[in-house]
Amino acid sequence: MTDPARAAEATWSSFGLEASAWRATPGVVLSVLANEIRKGLLILWAHPAPIVLAVVTMTFFYLGVQFIIGQGRMPSDLLPPTLVAFSAYIFLHIASLAMVADLVEEMRTGTLGQTHLSPVSPSLLVLGRLGTASLQGVLVAALATVVPLGAVSITIPARGEALVPFALTLANGLAFTLLFAGIALAEPFIGEIHHLFVGVIGTLNGMYLPVALFPDQLESVARLLPTTLGIEATLKVLFEGRSLGDLWIDGSLPWLLAYTIGLTALGWLVFARNQRKAMRDGTLV
Amino acid sequence: MKPSSPIAGVGQPSAARLAHPPESIAVEAEGLSKTFHSLNGPIRAVDSLDLSIPAGQVFGLLGPNGAGKTTTIKLLLGLVTPDEGRVRLNGYDVARARGQAMRQVGAVLEGSRNVYWTLSAWQNLIYFGRLKGMSTASIRPRAEYLLRALGLWERRHETVGGYSRGMQQKVAVAAALVADPSIVLFDEPTLGLDVEAARTVKDWIARLAQEHGKTVLLTTHQLDVAEELCHRIAIIRQGKIVADLPVSDLLARFRPQDMYQITIRGRAVGLELPPGFQARAEDSSTVIVGRVEDPLHLYKLIDGLRDGGLPLLSVSQVQPDLEEVILDLFKGAAHDD
Repeated sequence: MTDPARAAEATWSSFGLEASAWRATPGVVLSVLANEIRKGLLILWAHPAPIVLAVVTMTFFYLGVQFIIGQGRMPSDLLPPTLVAFSAYIFLHIASLAMVADLVEEMRTGTLGQTHLSPVSPSLLVLGRLGTASLQGVLVAALATVVPLGAVSITIPARGEALVPFALTLANGLAFTLLFAGIALAEPFIGEIHHLFVGVIGTLNGMYLPVALFPDQLESVARLLPTTLGIEATLKVLFEGRSLGDLWIDGSLPWLLAYTIGLTALGWLVFARNQRKAMRDGTLV
Repeated sequence: MKPSSPIAGVGQPSAARLAHPPESIAVEAEGLSKTFHSLNGPIRAVDSLDLSIPAGQVFGLLGPNGAGKTTTIKLLLGLVTPDEGRVRLNGYDVARARGQAMRQVGAVLEGSRNVYWTLSAWQNLIYFGRLKGMSTASIRPRAEYLLRALGLWERRHETVGGYSRGMQQKVAVAAALVADPSIVLFDEPTLGLDVEAARTVKDWIARLAQEHGKTVLLTTHQLDVAEELCHRIAIIRQGKIVADLPVSDLLARFRPQDMYQITIRGRAVGLELPPGFQARAEDSSTVIVGRVEDPLHLYKLIDGLRDGGLPLLSVSQVQPDLEEVILDLFKGAAHDD
């Protein structure tokens, strides 16, 4: 334990040197980023109940819907592809919900203002928040996927190449998260808007029925939504034995890449614009 | 670890106890303006505000609710973008050199939790220290010192949400100070606190300037707080500074030098008073208050009381308090409008 008198000496004597020598070095930037993620995980750890509840309800809901679609039995042909879509949906849902809810809570309580008093750029703190949100999303998606895998004996082929389109699918989810975080900075009805969009994505991304079984027009609409293109590409690798080269040639991978980059850019633009607007309107804190 | 008295020395900052050269300006705002647009039309929250606060000074920004105090604080911190004007903290422009400017400042904001209630006091201090770019190793001794000095050390691992309002405010103060900023902004720091917690926070604010050379800007509408702590006070009304003076000058400027209060024993019935004097009965005495433009009139009045057999208890010059001064200022400003 530190002697308080010496601690006091250390506390007050070093000012000036530190303040004048401070620079946003890569080490400092990484430290601040890690600090932001650590804070998010500590808060998550303090309240694990919502996460546990989300895993249980979403898993039961998914299995229940599959049971209804299978007219009283589990449809073994639909379960593997829909489970892939389900895991992507859970990631998007939880990551975006965590990010938006935290941001709104911090705006309401004023801690967001305190975080803006950091010498590092607020954009960097957003990356930290995205890191926390994605960790939460991955954790819940993994748990919610593993339970049905074990409970109803679903087999998904292990193909390493599928990780590329699936990672881009998760990147879709993060871009969507960033976009909605940006909207949350300016829109008081963000809860309702988020609920609506997440509901549409859950209905149309293939977690109940593969998108290929949709009517043509609905299939086109579904492909405009985050995660759909990525899930289709992942399913092609997993269940049709296609390689990444095949996906590149048939246009699946370039489209997925372009969509992910486009959605990320849109998310970043909306966030930056609405952050400036919130600071102009005085609604950030 | 008891903080030293906040009273001694406050009034005029001595250069000797400042950690900065007397001429250095810690907080500087030039032509700061901000208008918010609502459904009811535009609201001019801050209007061409100029501020210049020397390093080591405790500066009070006083005004009624809605005067523009909190908006001013947020503008100074870069949390609200001004329509016009600029802010410099220790010479760093908040808009152009934001990183360096933010390293200079800590703040406790009003109507805000300031810290994370789901984290412990210790976790909060580590988080906010690292947020300022410090290493965990350098934060630990500072955090320990602050938590010990504020009486929170034994409960440092409890979540802040379980603390009393006063303890939560102490954690907010510690979080603002953990990175050892040279400028600290307090927005209504004692609002809603019990007497003991308010005393601790006030002692700390005084100590920051007296012992550690910090520059403190505090907003309050508690006049006793401002009068006790501040070297200098600016009065803000409708976003404009209507007075900006050292506390002693502010009081002296509005001190009615010729107002006297005379107390005599017993009820003075039918007493003839000079023009401008009023008498009121109080228990077993009578208090006479009035303006004495010529000191000879005062002596004449006292002679009259003696001749009338009325025992004189006291004669004193009436001292204004800050509240009276501010009310006078507001009346004057309203008249100008």
